[in-house]
Amino acid sequence: MTGRPTTPSGALARRGFLDPVAAERLLQSMPAASEELVEDLSRSADPDRALEHLAGIAAAMDRRSLDGVLHDPDDRAALVAVLATSDALARHLARHPARARGLGRVPAAHRGAGHVRATLLRAVGADPDAPEPTATAAHPQDALRVAYRDLLVEAVVRDVVHGASFEDVSAELADLADAALEAGLAIARSELPPDSAPCRLAVIAMGKCGGRELNYVSDVDVIFVAEPRDGADETEALRTATRLATGLMRACGEATAEGELWQVDAALRPEGKQGALVRTLASHLGYYERWARTWEFQALLKARPAAGDRALGEAYVNAVTPLVWSAADRDGFVADVQAMRRRVEEHIPAKEADRQLKLGRGGLRDVEFAVQLLQLVHGRSDVMLRSPTTLVALESLATWGYIGREDGATLAAAYRFLRTLEHRIQLIELRRTHVVPEDDESLRRIGRSLGLRGDAVEELMEEWRRHAREVRRIHEKLFYRPLLQAVARLDAGIARLTPEAAEQRLEALGYTDPVGALRHLEALTAGVSRRAAIQRTLLPVLLGWFAEGPDPDAALLGFRRMSDALGSTPWYLRLLRDESVAAERMARLLSSSRYAADLLLRAPEAVAMLADDDELRPRTRESLEAEADVAVLRHDDATAAIAAVRGLRRRELFRISAADVLGLLNEDEVMTALTDVAEATVSGGLQVAVREVTGGMALPPRFAIIAMGRFGGSELGYGSDVDVMFAYDPAPGADEQETATAALAIANELRRLLMVPSTDPPLEIDADLRPEGRQGPLVRSLASYRAYYERWSSPWEAQALLRGRPVAGDVGLGAELAEVFDPVRWPAGGASDEDVREMRRLKARMEAERLPRGADPTLHTKMGRGGLADVEWVAQLLQLRHAHDVPGLRTTSTLGALRVAADAGLLTTSDEEALERAWLLATSVRNAVVLARGVAADSVPSSGRDLAIVAHLMDIRVTGDLLEHYRRTTRRARGVVERVFYD
Amino acid sequence: MDKQSDFVLRTIEERDIRFVRLWFTDVLGTLKSVAVAPAELEGAFAEGLGFDGSAIEGFARVYESDMLAKPDPATFAVLPWRSESPGVARMFCDILMPDGTPSYADPRWVLKRTLSRAADLGFSFYTHPEVEFYLLKHAPGDGPLEPIDHYGYFDNSPQSIGHDFRRQAITMLEAMGISVEFSHHEGGPGQQEIDLRYADALTTADNLMTFRLVMKEVALEQGVYASFMPKPFRDAPGSGMHTHVSLFEGDRNAFHEPGAPYQLSKVARSFIAGLLVHAPEITAVTNQWVNSYKRLAGGGEAPAWICWGHNNRSALIRVPMYKPTKGNSTRVEVRSLDSACNPYLAYALLLAAGLKGIEESYDLPPGAEDDVWALTPAERRALGMRPLPLSLNQAIQEMERSELVAETLGEHVFDFFLRNKQAEWEDYRRQVTPWELDRYLSTL
Repeated sequence: MTGRPTTPSGALARRGFLDPVAAERLLQSMPAASEELVEDLSRSADPDRALEHLAGIAAAMDRRSLDGVLHDPDDRAALVAVLATSDALARHLARHPARARGLGRVPAAHRGAGHVRATLLRAVGADPDAPEPTATAAHPQDALRVAYRDLLVEAVVRDVVHGASFEDVSAELADLADAALEAGLAIARSELPPDSAPCRLAVIAMGKCGGRELNYVSDVDVIFVAEPRDGADETEALRTATRLATGLMRACGEATAEGELWQVDAALRPEGKQGALVRTLASHLGYYERWARTWEFQALLKARPAAGDRALGEAYVNAVTPLVWSAADRDGFVADVQAMRRRVEEHIPAKEADRQLKLGRGGLRDVEFAVQLLQLVHGRSDVMLRSPTTLVALESLATWGYIGREDGATLAAAYRFLRTLEHRIQLIELRRTHVVPEDDESLRRIGRSLGLRGDAVEELMEEWRRHAREVRRIHEKLFYRPLLQAVARLDAGIARLTPEAAEQRLEALGYTDPVGALRHLEALTAGVSRRAAIQRTLLPVLLGWFAEGPDPDAALLGFRRMSDALGSTPWYLRLLRDESVAAERMARLLSSSRYAADLLLRAPEAVAMLADDDELRPRTRESLEAEADVAVLRHDDATAAIAAVRGLRRRELFRISAADVLGLLNEDEVMTALTDVAEATVSGGLQVAVREVTGGMALPPRFAIIAMGRFGGSELGYGSDVDVMFAYDPAPGADEQETATAALAIANELRRLLMVPSTDPPLEIDADLRPEGRQGPLVRSLASYRAYYERWSSPWEAQALLRGRPVAGDVGLGAELAEVFDPVRWPAGGASDEDVREMRRLKARMEAERLPRGADPTLHTKMGRGGLADVEWVAQLLQLRHAHDVPGLRTTSTLGALRVAADAGLLTTSDEEALERAWLLATSVRNAVVLARGVAADSVPSSGRDLAIVAHLMDIRVTGDLLEHYRRTTRRARGVVERVFYD
Repeated sequence: MDKQSDFVLRTIEERDIRFVRLWFTDVLGTLKSVAVAPAELEGAFAEGLGFDGSAIEGFARVYESDMLAKPDPATFAVLPWRSESPGVARMFCDILMPDGTPSYADPRWVLKRTLSRAADLGFSFYTHPEVEFYLLKHAPGDGPLEPIDHYGYFDNSPQSIGHDFRRQAITMLEAMGISVEFSHHEGGPGQQEIDLRYADALTTADNLMTFRLVMKEVALEQGVYASFMPKPFRDAPGSGMHTHVSLFEGDRNAFHEPGAPYQLSKVARSFIAGLLVHAPEITAVTNQWVNSYKRLAGGGEAPAWICWGHNNRSALIRVPMYKPTKGNSTRVEVRSLDSACNPYLAYALLLAAGLKGIEESYDLPPGAEDDVWALTPAERRALGMRPLPLSLNQAIQEMERSELVAETLGEHVFDFFLRNKQAEWEDYRRQVTPWELDRYLSTL
């Protein structure tokens, strides 16, 4: 700048106009413009818009009136404030310029429900004092809309000029809505045919209108109740009432030349949109007593007579109120509430999720929902909690100790802020929206309207995030923290949750043993130790996480045991204090997997693993074996050495099961990881056993272990046995008898070491798949295997060898054994017809005989219809027949063989998929059963808690669906088996 | 305790009810009843009454046999027949698992599930059954197979047992809240037909279970015997249960479209097409006995070929003559069902097949205008008419391959039903019938 006097447009820019050039032009065109006007504009939420609107109104006004408005400081300031806040009301004033005058004289206090009712009734030409006011105006709908907006302008003046509180503004809006409903009813009356049967009709406000906490723009929720009058026939009277109700809905909701008010929504009525629009009081009660769902009672919390027959409205509310307060006793209340919660979260379109004020975790709906839930749970025994208004209810919950005072106050402040923000967003266009706009211009306007003057956009976002953060912790604050107060030894005189109320609440949150839970809470939080202090802070959060799992009671008990074991270790306390992801993961494990929880409680320090995703990635087989080798070398003592190996296994099983429960692994990864751990354990154990047995021998034999069955296929589950065969080869010149004795001793010692009772879980070695089964020798020499398979082998044994794979011991011996197996399992030219027939017969007989008595074949994962055996036999039959010319079939993996067979055209792709799906499903059910119960079982649990937990672990919400899904998938696989295996 | 349950308990007190029968239906459609003393009822309302599910056809296996029967107080009715009076009432039950969730084995739940799937599409399903049955002079074992009269279709038989029977039966049905639309003597000797008023499918199915029992009771009081066996006489018509079905969207009949051919909406046409496409696979349920197929082979009005026709009584699906004043009564008549089916399962499958037609927008083939029985096999082939399964065995094989039936019945009922019917067929195959002895013994 060169020191010239500042141009007016430069001055305007400094005073907050974003387009000073346009502003200057507009000001010049307005004769009554003054420095005071510019000052008012510059203080307003949006100077440019306000000026633009003002120019439009000025053009429509005569000069005298305009001067009148612009020269009266109060009128001018109020008008500018309204124009800066709402484009829609600015347009209203431009259409009716006379109404832009005198806004400065709007009183700071709302003139009362009676006043607005009378005003709107008179506007439609109805007598406010008549028992049934009836409209007489020529165009009553237009008249209603204009009069309503006039009153709305008044409300906005109180809101943005006089700074009325959120409570007052939203209550005034509800009064306005009541008055409009009354006027709409007057219009509907005027449209009735003269011979209509007489009736009494009451309009009950529900939702935000019922709670007198209405928005500027939202649907107004209502329910209609009617009764015949003067002995009229009920059917006829209801017909009249239905006419009135539809007339009222039209009078308010229809778009006319003057636009519309809002939609009247009667969907909360019994049976929703399918139900009759109008019912008698008795019919309402009949429905609520028999059919209503939990959410309907929650909605009834807000019922309030709004218009029409006052006495009938009161009678309705008095009759339904007792029902509301017994809702928490109903069957399925907890499940309903949880389902309702999920719906609240699920309904947000993803792209708006982070700008939504209303829906989603931490949204307004969440606050309202949480408050209402506490009202339903505690309001039955405490009449002080029954207000239909969210903020009032919140305050009484705090006053009477159901939630903490500070938490109550913080949440109330956040709720007020978010609702006010929502008001200002809606005011701009008078549109029903709950999404914070993204453009800076709108954000600036909204921020300034809330009184933020610096960088309005930045400050607004900061405020919003700050309050949202508080709201997001609502469950911790409202539901759980007060539970701790119930068990704390506080000064008498401080209001807090009584033990009875605490039990009610725990039950409502899904704890089945609330008394036990309170005892644990007391133990965990008592005292002045650092641990108790940290646990007091963390438990409210943990309790919520526990409640999201299927077994919150077990989780709380598990946590108590964790705390007893680790409570004073600094790193554990740090882990808890930081509320890390580790704490949340621990909560989820404790509440959904007995298997993982047991492993954790055997050695609680493993909880540290949960802090880090890298720690939850399964270790490779190489690193596990290296670790086992080192452990064995380090300990000369067999007991110590095997303890190290088994400790390693326990730690890895926890790692895998934890990652599995937390959804970090797929089925393939779980099987591979479990197989790797078993291999490292067997290999480590074998080294110890060999050292023990052959320590003094001059010529020790070579010794090898062949994995068989699922172990050989690298398909282990949590509950699988480890199938093996043992082989040895005497050193040249060694004594045969001595060598054989030593080899047998090695095998026995290995089995003993892995089974010795200890804090680490045992590993059972099963050698029943060896030649001649249990009748045959436990250990054979290489030569003996060779002789046996050259002479005897049945198709069944060839089939078992398909999954034979050397896993531990002497590598050379393993390879030589494999050479012995190959011609048996992959016979040249394929299995003979006779062998195939024999296999089919054997399978058919097993189906008839191997299923345990009483077991349901449709749910038995191993021997049942379409279960593991069915699928595996298909794969193995294909391998025996075709592995000689399809090299890919020479695999120990079931799925690998099936996929290769499909690629080679031996199976159709859809058949292959049906088999694979069933096999994987049976596998994951078996794994989930072990994770849930801690022990293996062969059938899908068919009812009860086990089924619920298994379904939860498999991400299936309705337990019956799991059974359906399992039966369906395996039925389809069985169809394939019948065709492919038997034909 | 809710009002309805209170009402039941009060009525029991006031009317001196000594026993309450709790009713439910097994997978094959047999009514099961357990009597409880009024004192136990309060507990049954709250938690259900425990019973051993393994004793009921198709409910549970031995190791998971605990189930709960939870009476529905809305179905409370005092039983009006003399053998039960004074003081016996009944209620229908839902069958629950021990954890309180519905049991997949309960046929009522199968139908409820299917109805709620229809509700998700905005439809409610209404049915109106015409139940045929025979009145015989003697109960099985008490005398020869002999009808009570030799009247025929619509015969007015003023002094006959049949006339008295129908009057008393209808009075009793009405006393239990079941409205009768129509009743008359049917075509066979001693054969009766009683048509129930249309109602939602679940109510109709409950009513049919009551209906069969009422007929048996009234017959007993009059010294005769009522049988729902599909085909007791070789030379007289079998007992069918033609059922008129319609879908409503709210108050509007979704089958009706003014101006369309036969006033049938696109929804109706696709629904019929669904019934036709899936007819073979649902027949094992709509016609579930070995004997059912003797009725289908009987000619006349029994449908044996898969086709539809406007007012054609030989077609599987008949579209009745349209009455211009009654747009809301547009409906289609399914003629394969017999009176001995399980109405819960059969209605669930009709609905599922029709909905499938709607969801997949099946095209409706041209209707049949001739008497289908009079066509030659070649003509029928030329018109693209497939036969319904000829025997229970064929029907089972069609059903076994059906995803639609498996999904609708649920895997548990599907599996049980197939196994049970396979066993029935195996048993039947081993029979040596009088027909064989007559024909072969003297000549071979």
